[in-house]
Amino acid sequence: MAPQATELFFLQHLAQAFHIPAPEFLTGEATGAEIRKAMTRWGGKALVKPDVLAGRRGKAGAVHLVQDYVSAQKELKRIGGLEVNGRLPRTAYLVQYIPGKREIYTAITYDSRFNGPSITVSLDGGMDVEQIPDEKKVTLPVDVYKGLDAYQASELLGRLGLTGSVANTVSLCLVDFWDLFITTGMRTCEINPWRITPEGKCFACDFKAVFDEANFKYKNLAAKPPEYPAQVTLFEEEMSAWNASSHQGQAHAVELGGDMVLPILFGGGASTIIAETLLQHGGNPIILSDFGGNPPYERMLGTARICFEHHLGKAAVLLILGGKANNTLIDVTFQSIADALRAYVDAHGPIHTPVVVGRGGPRLVKGMLILRDALSALGMPYVIFGPDTPVTQVAEYAATLARASKGNGGVA
Amino acid sequence: MRAGTLQDLLKAGDRVAVSNITGREAGDVTVASQKYCANVVGGWALGKGGQAIDVPGAPAIPVFAGAGELFAKLPPPKRPNKVVVYSPPLAVYGEVKEIVDHAKGGVETMFIVTEHVSIEVTAKIARLCADANIDVLGGNSLGMINVLDGVRVGAVGGDSPAESFRAGCVAILSNSGNMVNTMASYLQSAGMGISYGISTGKDVLILLPVGDLLELAASDERTKMLVLYVEPGGLYEKRAVEMLTRTKFSKPLIVYVTGQILATRDLSLGHAGAVVEGGQTSAQAKMALFDEYFGLPPFDPETRYRKSPKLTKGLRRGLRITTLHHLPAAAKLIGDMLGIERDFPPAEPLHLNPWFADYRDLARRLPSRVILPAGAIPEPYASYARVATGERLGATPVRRNMRNASHASSNDGRITRIHGYSLEDQMAQGSFVRSVLLAWTGEPVTQTEEELLARCFIAAISNGPGTISAQGVKLSTSAGNEPNTAIIAALACIGDVHGGNGRQAVDYLLKVFRDIDIADPYDRKHGIDLDDLVHRVVDRFAQERDAAKDAGRDYDRIPCLGHPIFKDDAVNFDPRERVVSRFLEERGLYNIFLDFYHRLTLRLKEVGIARNVWAVNIDGAIASVVLAMCWRALREKRITIQRVRSIAFLAFALGRAAGAGGEFLDHQDFGSPMDMRVAVADCEVLTRPKD
Repeated sequence: MAPQATELFFLQHLAQAFHIPAPEFLTGEATGAEIRKAMTRWGGKALVKPDVLAGRRGKAGAVHLVQDYVSAQKELKRIGGLEVNGRLPRTAYLVQYIPGKREIYTAITYDSRFNGPSITVSLDGGMDVEQIPDEKKVTLPVDVYKGLDAYQASELLGRLGLTGSVANTVSLCLVDFWDLFITTGMRTCEINPWRITPEGKCFACDFKAVFDEANFKYKNLAAKPPEYPAQVTLFEEEMSAWNASSHQGQAHAVELGGDMVLPILFGGGASTIIAETLLQHGGNPIILSDFGGNPPYERMLGTARICFEHHLGKAAVLLILGGKANNTLIDVTFQSIADALRAYVDAHGPIHTPVVVGRGGPRLVKGMLILRDALSALGMPYVIFGPDTPVTQVAEYAATLARASKGNGGVA
Repeated sequence: MRAGTLQDLLKAGDRVAVSNITGREAGDVTVASQKYCANVVGGWALGKGGQAIDVPGAPAIPVFAGAGELFAKLPPPKRPNKVVVYSPPLAVYGEVKEIVDHAKGGVETMFIVTEHVSIEVTAKIARLCADANIDVLGGNSLGMINVLDGVRVGAVGGDSPAESFRAGCVAILSNSGNMVNTMASYLQSAGMGISYGISTGKDVLILLPVGDLLELAASDERTKMLVLYVEPGGLYEKRAVEMLTRTKFSKPLIVYVTGQILATRDLSLGHAGAVVEGGQTSAQAKMALFDEYFGLPPFDPETRYRKSPKLTKGLRRGLRITTLHHLPAAAKLIGDMLGIERDFPPAEPLHLNPWFADYRDLARRLPSRVILPAGAIPEPYASYARVATGERLGATPVRRNMRNASHASSNDGRITRIHGYSLEDQMAQGSFVRSVLLAWTGEPVTQTEEELLARCFIAAISNGPGTISAQGVKLSTSAGNEPNTAIIAALACIGDVHGGNGRQAVDYLLKVFRDIDIADPYDRKHGIDLDDLVHRVVDRFAQERDAAKDAGRDYDRIPCLGHPIFKDDAVNFDPRERVVSRFLEERGLYNIFLDFYHRLTLRLKEVGIARNVWAVNIDGAIASVVLAMCWRALREKRITIQRVRSIAFLAFALGRAAGAGGEFLDHQDFGSPMDMRVAVADCEVLTRPKD
């Protein structure tokens, strides 16, 4: 999953660096004296928010207005442990309350209509922005080389009817917003809302961003978005670290919560359709995986080992499946899988989980024979299909075999 | 968009250049492309300029130092008009810029195969290439194939494009490169071939999106039907359908939309997706979009479709399939209803066809409908499989880069290990022979095997100072060399004829026993009629020998029979071999290979090939011992045949190296410099003076 950042990261690391006006804030670790002092400075009003990777915090009742020091401390504790849409916050934080006369929605993202970045602005920001009708929002493509200038920003706001000194202030903020987006290697960034105070000042009052891991600017960022709790399972965590350790071959896997088929899948496209077919036919896949991209031996060995260690014990069927590969060398990947299976049996003792295999591609027969011999030596039942059997039919069969195996007292 | 037709993207006669051509993937793919269609005129790779990539049966591919050099040095008729970019992600932008700068309008299409190109770079490439009037497929595109012209770029079709792609009237446009191949293969069972297979790439930005490609397909007379493989993300399909509707597009589409499962993993952090692109980018939305355009429910293989104006009208636009293997049936339905002719007789219908199956105990426990018998492996795989499965013995390991890598030894900074076994533990056990065999075979050996091999090592120490290897060490010592050099000299004097006979004996024994399923070579009750085997072997030898003699050519001798000294008795023995045989007899042990050798030499006398019973020499004994020791691992394909042959050789070489040490020390102490020199008078002159 691409790295993401929330408001607290923005307040701590980005707002000041990019001259984006934002409310003052204190983290949950602030001392009583600091909170008391800040509340006084802020006019006695503040918001307590959870730092959580979930949208719609306000709607979920997780953003709380506090008006005194005692409730601020209490709410910081309460909201710090409050689950929001199934996710636990990393911490809670206190942010200066900004009175708003107007709320503006802005997002910069790469837009498939222009094959480049675009900025979207609406004067109907705040909550329920998905409902904003087309006529109340404007999207403008941004030249990826030249960027967004104040004139374009001002014209954009003008098209929505925002003019005058407020428009000037917001225009300058949008230029900085673009600067933030393009300088840090983001893929999508949203500030919603910009709150305009009665005095005409503009503050970025919430923030979400998704970074592009492939962008060197993100890689070079001094501060990286923090790890958020309960985002990933131990398996996903391990797999993600393993995936990041090399660019040779993919090692993408997420848990799907199933308990029937352990799918070791190749090719992004094939992986998704196989997992969907397994689901359609009651094969409850344990994971969604994509291990294509011609992984070298060591890469695939490590990948298979992690998958087996976490999930092979509970699988009714081990499915090794991919379409007809263009580049991926089948003998290399199958040798790795065979060796990982041997290592698993060495560590855990014999297993009799049936193995369903389907594959096509370079050095196929050699790969199949390597795997077949290994499975024979390990005493594991197997059915091996070639590229003449469609992957979706193999997946359907694996689901059927898993159901039949479970229905017959498991696979011992 | 520069292209006016699909063919403009790639056609016969196009000249292709490849960036980073010597890279792991680019190199392999380019060679396969060159074999298929010989359209690669050159490539470049940093620091590799001046090299050439040889392609069997096709023109070699020159490698230049950079794009600039390639465009400058290739003569105008050879200058590329298509470029495939295989550079690493961080280099892609620079490469594209260089291509644009140097191509000066000559490049029409760029295929960016590189994955993990940042979205910002992709957006910049979109602008750069639009300004330079270059069409871009990718990043993360697998390339394209024009089957009708027999040309491709990138890796579409893998090593053998002709296998998946037969010429026909269906164009495949796919976000997934792999699925281009897969769907082309499936369509063969509907009798439908392919006109073009195009991998658009599946990055966030798709620079030549499906709408543009459909526009190009509209005017392509050779394409009568299109297959679309669609993944979530972007508004490309929405805009394509708007175009189809607006232009009254006349060719039917078969659409497969995948990625519904991804929706359940979406964290939907923020609203940008929904607000900016309007929630039209999900798999679900794309399915609904196409269903509405077609005006028909998705294809159902159980439905009996009857021709009706409504159905025909819908099918003219196309049909969505919900399962990939319904593709041929849907193509057949559309073909039948709209009168699109088959491109060739349909291949066998898609079905479950296991190539290999062994259900073991499950076969008894599961319902019979679940148990599939192994089917027929189609060609060309069947031929490969026949050759490969004919090899009952020996592992076929996958080769890898062994630089800084070893299975034989390791050192984690604390413990040195031999094939995973602690060196210190080996030292504590105190057996040099056992540790040597562990290092060679990778597995612990039994006590008996250790003792047998110890005898073989000892036997190899010496056979007197006149042997060639002993002469080698003595010559070297006489020349004043150090012990290591002198021992190398001894080892350099070992070859196929002297010392290497054990290796030949392993080859010979494997030739005889390869197809015989011996479970345990140490088991006397092997159930094999050895006499019958020996008779057949000797008969065949006699026939081959007679035929060779008649033809006046040499014939293959049986290795390890006969001895230069022990040769004149009625029954001869090599005393060293007797030590090994006696060791086995005294312990009631057995070795099928040695037994075979003894029966063989008797039989050769019986049939008159030999005038007396030849000795089975020590090399035959060593080979028999080594082969028996490795037999189980060979049978279970844990070690290679090559390794077993080499172990037989090494067993002799190790013993002889030790013996050579003895000769060195002796010669060093008692000999004098140059004492091995042969006096001039003792040398025979075979050439008369010519000066």
